[in-house]
Amino acid sequence: MTDRSVVHATITVERTYRASPKRVFAAWSSKEALLSWGLPGEGWISGYERFDFRVGGNDRSHFGPAGGETYVNDTTYLDIVPDARIVSAGSMTSAGTRLSAGLMTVEFQAAGNGGCHLVMTEQGAFLDGHDLPENHEAGWNEMLDKLGDHLARDQAAA
Amino acid sequence: MTKRSVAHATFTIERHYDATPARVFAAFATREAKARWFSGPPEWGPAEGGMDFRVGGRETSRGGPKGGTVHAFDAIYQDIVPNERIVFSYDMHLDETRISVSLTTIEFKPEAGGTRLVFTEQGAFLDGYDDAGGREHGWGEALKQLGCALQQAA
Repeated sequence: MTDRSVVHATITVERTYRASPKRVFAAWSSKEALLSWGLPGEGWISGYERFDFRVGGNDRSHFGPAGGETYVNDTTYLDIVPDARIVSAGSMTSAGTRLSAGLMTVEFQAAGNGGCHLVMTEQGAFLDGHDLPENHEAGWNEMLDKLGDHLARDQAAA
Repeated sequence: MTKRSVAHATFTIERHYDATPARVFAAFATREAKARWFSGPPEWGPAEGGMDFRVGGRETSRGGPKGGTVHAFDAIYQDIVPNERIVFSYDMHLDETRISVSLTTIEFKPEAGGTRLVFTEQGAFLDGYDDAGGREHGWGEALKQLGCALQQAA
């Protein structure tokens, strides 16, 4: 029998982007956009089995290092305010073991010069020692930097 | 347009019950058992809803004063370990307004004479409609009712 434990933690990561809240929100609400920036490591791969961006809709995605462990993320959208806020809840599993459950809030706030200040808050329950808040925080930092690159590419292409 | 805001907060409530973890867990695991303690004031009458107690399953409960504001609880079970742990996310609505979204962890730990229940809520309180203090009070009352229900059933 596994020793059961839960570590609760709140992770907040913020960025200011030179893109409007509308454009940054768009990068969180399209599957294609999410696939282009939403990976926490080099050489990682990901895909969606299901994507349904609306309140009550759920996504199932998988990601992980090529040839390594695969993580499955099940997320349900609970609150969507266009161009302003996304709240979702879900869990992450690997090989049938649940690693964590979490509530995610992403706020898109107007910043100076038409930019966007993004505040991402993950309130997580890390289960049975399988995962750690530090891992998620590092992953989000990596992904939000990639989101900045994605927005710059998107801008150059426009 | 409403001014948008989110207040994030975490609170923990601990209770001792003179009942085994299996019995305390069972009070969360069926709609009938949960209705004995998870409800509004008596004058609201029975809540409407349903429960699908499995990972990915949903629970809904709707009630309120006759002709007044409808209080709606909608949950999704995220993790269930029989007799040991339940994790669910839920949102609360007052009529059509979503006032909060939360992640709740309930741990059932055996201790001398019964069970230590550790209830942790990680909440996102939306647009100033509710706050962690009010919610903590509400769950504290519910967990007191749970104690009464367990005693009556003993």
